[in-house]
Amino acid sequence: MLATAPTIDLQGESTSPGRLARQLWEARELFLILSRKEFHVRYRRASFGILWALALPLLQAAVLALVFSKVAHIRAAPHYAVFVLAGMAPWSYFSMTISAGSTAVVDSTDLSSKVYFPRAVLPLAQLAANLYGYLVTVAIVLLLCPLFHVGLGPAALLLLPASILLLALTAGFCLTASALHVYFRDVRYIVSAALMVWFYVTPVVYPAGDASGKLRLLLELNPMTGILDLFRTATVGGVGPMAVPVLISLAWTLGLLTTATLLHCRYQRVFADLL
Amino acid sequence: MTNAIELAGAGKRFTKYEDTPMILTSALRVRNRTRREQLWAVRGVDLEVAEGESFGIIGRNGSGKSTLMTMMAGITAPTEGSVRVWGRVAPLISVGVGFHRELTGRENIYVNGAILGLSRREITDRLESVIDFAGIEGFIDTPVKFYSSGMYVRLGFSVAVHAQPQVLLVDEVLAVGDLAFQVKCFEKMNELRREGTTIVMVSHHLGAVRRMCGRVLVVDRGIPRFLGEAPEAIAAFHEILSSSTEVLEDHGSGTRFEPGVVAVRSAELLGADGEPTGHVEAGEPVSVRLRAEALTDIEEVVVGITLFAPDGTPVYADSNALEPFQDLGAGTELTCTLSFRAQLPTGSYTAVLRVDRGDLRTNLAQSPTISFFVTGRHTVAGHADLEARIAREEPVRR
Ligand SMILES: Nc1ncnc2c1ncn2[C@@H]1O[C@H](COP(=O)(O)OP(=O)(O)OP(=O)(O)O)[C@@H](O)[C@H]1O
Ligand SMILES: [Mg+2]
Repeated sequence: MLATAPTIDLQGESTSPGRLARQLWEARELFLILSRKEFHVRYRRASFGILWALALPLLQAAVLALVFSKVAHIRAAPHYAVFVLAGMAPWSYFSMTISAGSTAVVDSTDLSSKVYFPRAVLPLAQLAANLYGYLVTVAIVLLLCPLFHVGLGPAALLLLPASILLLALTAGFCLTASALHVYFRDVRYIVSAALMVWFYVTPVVYPAGDASGKLRLLLELNPMTGILDLFRTATVGGVGPMAVPVLISLAWTLGLLTTATLLHCRYQRVFADLL
Repeated sequence: MTNAIELAGAGKRFTKYEDTPMILTSALRVRNRTRREQLWAVRGVDLEVAEGESFGIIGRNGSGKSTLMTMMAGITAPTEGSVRVWGRVAPLISVGVGFHRELTGRENIYVNGAILGLSRREITDRLESVIDFAGIEGFIDTPVKFYSSGMYVRLGFSVAVHAQPQVLLVDEVLAVGDLAFQVKCFEKMNELRREGTTIVMVSHHLGAVRRMCGRVLVVDRGIPRFLGEAPEAIAAFHEILSSSTEVLEDHGSGTRFEPGVVAVRSAELLGADGEPTGHVEAGEPVSVRLRAEALTDIEEVVVGITLFAPDGTPVYADSNALEPFQDLGAGTELTCTLSFRAQLPTGSYTAVLRVDRGDLRTNLAQSPTISFFVTGRHTVAGHADLEARIAREEPVRR
């Protein structure tokens, strides 16, 4: 027995990044179960079940497309409805995931105050649970493209880096916010307020080129702009040069992931004290 | 012998916030700072629990027992010192056991099993026996938020023991289950103990602690006060309890404590043969002898006894209030003996003697706690053995 390493070895409150990574790897089974469960909890009681996962973003895209093209007379290539849908796919994944992911640690108090597992599993499970809905909307965008005479070229391969960047940014955001939320309980409200504003400073319903002045600046600083650009280049096309927005997304992603790692390494072992 | 658990100088400090910290208020400096207060829930604990040992932790409410358990379970890290545990740990910390409220019992078995380090396959293999042991077949596909607290604990305990843990941490959970389940749990824990599982148990049920545990740690207000064999630890705990009842009665029930009038010299339990003893057979005549000294002149003195059951409830109290001792001069030695028959079920009992003024409002002294064990008659349960005689009349055929 003495030769083996202790299963619990606590000295000081922080966890080293290496050890946290190992614990996360060991918790992969738990991660899968929790993500599956998250998915079921969300759609089990809805009468159309999993259909809701697709219906909501589609409906939202349809309404937005109708309102903004008829009222605000926004035009975008190749067709406004498809343009909006291509924006909605990554956006709705992002917003749905962070609104649940930011509060994931506190929302699972029952679990996290009674047993130990790396707390990062909780927000990460939200990421996985929403993946299904995302993949289906992406598939719908790809299916609609030929209908609007958009040829899918090799650029479609950009969907992969676009999705990876989207996942990484969402992960960074959720992990950071969920750690802050354990201490600052208004993070929940700040995130939902921020999301509401964020939608309008992200080129989901209008092309980035239409913006000017202060809005332009916000769009340029917004990490979602680069991701949407990548996504649209891969599918519906019609986006100008996108190197700078993508680099900005990348910078945000790395910054958030670093912050998240620091916060979780330092505090995750004492989250339970505040739950 | 190798250790399963090692605590070295372990301590935990909590910060209590009077209002929840908010980003907005701190950013806008609406209030200067959230009001906070720090307290050491437990401090300076050095402890080694050997592999296969059954270890108990006892103490009053809020003395830091659960905090120690959460550190051993790895749920929270110590503020100072270190905590190390070897082997798979299954914690049963307070009622709740770590279930997700929205999930069904079956799904929670998977979640819990995964946390305890079982693979999906292993869980599926054990599913039947987990459900069977918990005895909640009818509810296994119901979300656990509709469970009663007893059902919660049944399922939690069942998952924990079926994970074949090397270390089982049980904090006060079993009290919620009904009698049948408690018996089942104790049997299972005994079985695990025989198989070499290390068990750490927190309970206010001192009888259970005595039955289950070899060594016991007594904590009081976050400080370890005694570590030793169960009977001595329980006696030490009663000592702490009795020294604090003075304080309680001081402010509480309208009686006051007046020191410096009577000093208790000794108090002991004597068996049927008149020799001091710690073990009594049910129904045996026993007596409690008190020696005290009057330090000043006193008019009337009442001597009383309170007998406590294993779980701490008083079962019997009496005194000579109707015929008090009269006119004791300063320096007189008072020896008095209270005799009774130990009509009690099996368990570990404690008795405390008190000396009061004749008005019964002023407590003058209290004896140290006397602990003793009663071996009861097999058929008896409850708080008292009334020695019922069960006679049968000649059957009449109609
Ligand atoms: N998360 C927390 N935040 C702040 N204070 C806490 C926290 N948990 C416990 N405490 C405090 O620490 C002290 C010890 O609590 P603990 O739960 O360990 O006591 P206990 O011995 O288990 O009591 P009981 O017999 O009632 O279960 C108490 O004063 C309690 O208020
Ligand atoms: Mg407790």
